[in-house]
Amino acid sequence: MGAYNTISFKPEHCDGCNACMTACATAKAGSDDVVNSRIQIVADGDAFELAMCRQCGDPKCVSNCPAAALAKDGADGVIDWDGSKCVNCLLCTVGCAFGGIVYNAAAGHVVKCDTCDGDPACVKACDRGALKYLTTAHIYNEVGDLEDLFVPGLAGCQGCNTELIMRHTMRRIGPDTVLATPPGCIPGMGSVGYNGLTGTKVPVFHPLLTNTASMLTGIKRHYKRQGREVNAVALAGDGGTADVGFQSLSGAAERGEQILFICVDNEGYMNTGMQRSGCTPFGAWTSTTPVGERGKGKTQDAKNLPLLMMMHNCEYVATASTAFMEDLYDKLDRAIEASKRGFSYLHIYSPCTTGWRFPSAENIEVARKAVETNFVMLWEFNPTDGLRLSRSLDEPRPIDEYLEALGKYRHLEPDQVGHIEATLRKNVEQIRGLAGG
Amino acid sequence: MSAVLKPKPKAIVCDGNEAAAWAVTLARVDMVAVYPITPQSSLVEYLAKFVADGKLNAEIVDVEGEHSVLSVLHGGVLAGARAYTGTCGPGLAFMFEPYLRTPGMRMPMVMSIVTRDTLTPQSVWGGHQDAMSVREVGWIQMYCETVQEVLDTTILAYKVAEHRDVMLPVNVCHDGNYLSYGAARVELPTQEEVDAFLPPPSTNWHAALDPSRPMAIDPLTGGAGGPGPSLFVRYRKGQCAGMQNALAAIEAAHEDWARVVGRRHAPLVESYRMDDAEVALVTLGSMTGAAKDAVDEARERGQRVGLVKVKTYRPFPVRAIVSALDGLKAVGVVDRSVSFGWNCGPLYQDVIGALQFASQRPAAMSFIGGLAGADITTDHFGRAIERVRALAQDGQVGETVWLNEKD
Repeated sequence: MGAYNTISFKPEHCDGCNACMTACATAKAGSDDVVNSRIQIVADGDAFELAMCRQCGDPKCVSNCPAAALAKDGADGVIDWDGSKCVNCLLCTVGCAFGGIVYNAAAGHVVKCDTCDGDPACVKACDRGALKYLTTAHIYNEVGDLEDLFVPGLAGCQGCNTELIMRHTMRRIGPDTVLATPPGCIPGMGSVGYNGLTGTKVPVFHPLLTNTASMLTGIKRHYKRQGREVNAVALAGDGGTADVGFQSLSGAAERGEQILFICVDNEGYMNTGMQRSGCTPFGAWTSTTPVGERGKGKTQDAKNLPLLMMMHNCEYVATASTAFMEDLYDKLDRAIEASKRGFSYLHIYSPCTTGWRFPSAENIEVARKAVETNFVMLWEFNPTDGLRLSRSLDEPRPIDEYLEALGKYRHLEPDQVGHIEATLRKNVEQIRGLAGG
Repeated sequence: MSAVLKPKPKAIVCDGNEAAAWAVTLARVDMVAVYPITPQSSLVEYLAKFVADGKLNAEIVDVEGEHSVLSVLHGGVLAGARAYTGTCGPGLAFMFEPYLRTPGMRMPMVMSIVTRDTLTPQSVWGGHQDAMSVREVGWIQMYCETVQEVLDTTILAYKVAEHRDVMLPVNVCHDGNYLSYGAARVELPTQEEVDAFLPPPSTNWHAALDPSRPMAIDPLTGGAGGPGPSLFVRYRKGQCAGMQNALAAIEAAHEDWARVVGRRHAPLVESYRMDDAEVALVTLGSMTGAAKDAVDEARERGQRVGLVKVKTYRPFPVRAIVSALDGLKAVGVVDRSVSFGWNCGPLYQDVIGALQFASQRPAAMSFIGGLAGADITTDHFGRAIERVRALAQDGQVGETVWLNEKD
């Protein structure tokens, strides 16, 4: 069974303004009386609670209904109420633990949330950020129908973000692809394979760490010469992109080769023992920027690779994060399309549980914190529209929330945090400037 | 595509770099990747011009350095292309990483090395040090004596490289300055002749990147456990076998070429005035012309001197060398490069190694000349012949002789 879209409620952002209830009552009953709203925000001392249908996976309202008037829609997960079958016994209201289905006197029968067909009025009315319509599940379901182009059982570390990126991106890009995975975690977990066995279902190869974009150039050019439409795609780590692989990358971008180059940035050489790369941020512990009596992690800031690629005037450049999958998929679609016209570069941040020192279950949370603190900024570029922010940089969460989540920053001293904050401010202003303020 | 060239063979005057470009055109190469470097530069300029003029119907990729030159061609070959490039000296050094990988992936491409002495001292002139530095990497290497041989060998090389028992890359080495810029009269074969000699390349389904037949190229292989050790040995032995098979393939290709075009070059080694010879010079590349003149002069003096030119250097034609030199009294091997570890020339090392298989082993000594564009004249070769004749008398193998030491 797949997952479904849902309305989420964050009580810490709610101030009890009732705008959601007014909007719902208006949409569903043509009245501004909140008693008619199918979403109810209930004050509990200073806090607020939500009373609304959760569209449960194993709904008690449905099992309680003797008339088969309630049923869960397998496609969108919404529990539908059928007035022509309802016998007004109200047993459903007894089954529900969330106050999600209640008798409405004006209507004369029970009412419940139907998510307004995927465009909920309550969410649109909430300007406090307390209500959100989460559609990520929609993405997963859609992608779930596409073939996973890697075999099960790749030998990534537990909770590996990079494996997630590999499987998601290749599912979308599809089988008419030649895939380059330069040395690093991606082939290291067995995608190209070991001793005659392979983990990938499309043609895949180990380029050298240095020449990914050049080898893809040769492949793409020859298929074009033959009139065949074949995607030339790289899934490369940040070392093979920003450091030793940069010359060939820069050359291919300058020539406008029709390649989709995806950099999976885990901020270092994680496969070979967590050494520093040009993408490792200031202050980070790595095995070649160790912490000791004198050493306090990396002493230089990270190279801003996506900006460098933007300055190559690529057909498309974007940054993305697995904590924001709709955004990632939108960008992936545009990147694939752009790679049919010219060089397309996607930079996806990939927190590394092993090298960054945090529990594997927290990977997506770490990715989210990186974005919410502006440590990672989500934007996209094309030559016509320039750089555009994909997400507001306003009101970021404090950077401490991100730094404290990671073992690689555990040793940081106040002056180092100060440096990171200053760099962050500078980076944010730079991107704002490029985005036109 | 209609024939690019006129149907009748014609003679043109061109240098070695232009001759190589004509060979690439006639061989119907699909992809060339280019980056200029002295003394190869005019070669890639000719290729670019031929593409611009519509003579050469190839995908030309102007890249940002030699590392990418070879890497682009790797991609092209894995997608099924017939591929070509040329380089030398520092460019060859820079492309060493993909160069090292090419034979192991069994990629049948051709790359000219327009030989140049290596840094340092800083030098842009001819010498074999670049090609010699990569002699043990697994590429087939053939050295040319004349501009005509450059043209013919560059086409021949595809037949050797793409031979199913070989499947290895070929370096056609032509000397910087002397052959790259030296112009000569050259017979240009017709497109029909070359087409009759060289069929279109067929996809190598042992190593191809094609979504219609997905496969993984170059997974990690080896290690101490599982199938690793034996699998790795299988690849290595196969590569060595391909190298040895190349000897017969090179001879066959030269024979075919003579049949179709009517021009015959010695495929492995050429013996010059070796009948009844007591001593011989062993040479490589364009120096051979002056050496042959010196041999002629010695013959006129009644000295029983001959010459053996090594055309195919890798794989080393051990049997052919032994057969040519067995029973002589003395041999002088002339190198245009240095083996730093042995304080002699690398070809000399190979020759004395091969002579272990001779029934009557001649004394042999090493001469080094022509470094960094220096000329090895008939006078130099005359002195070398005298030194080798003295060796034949006293059997005393002396120190390596540096021919241009006092120039």
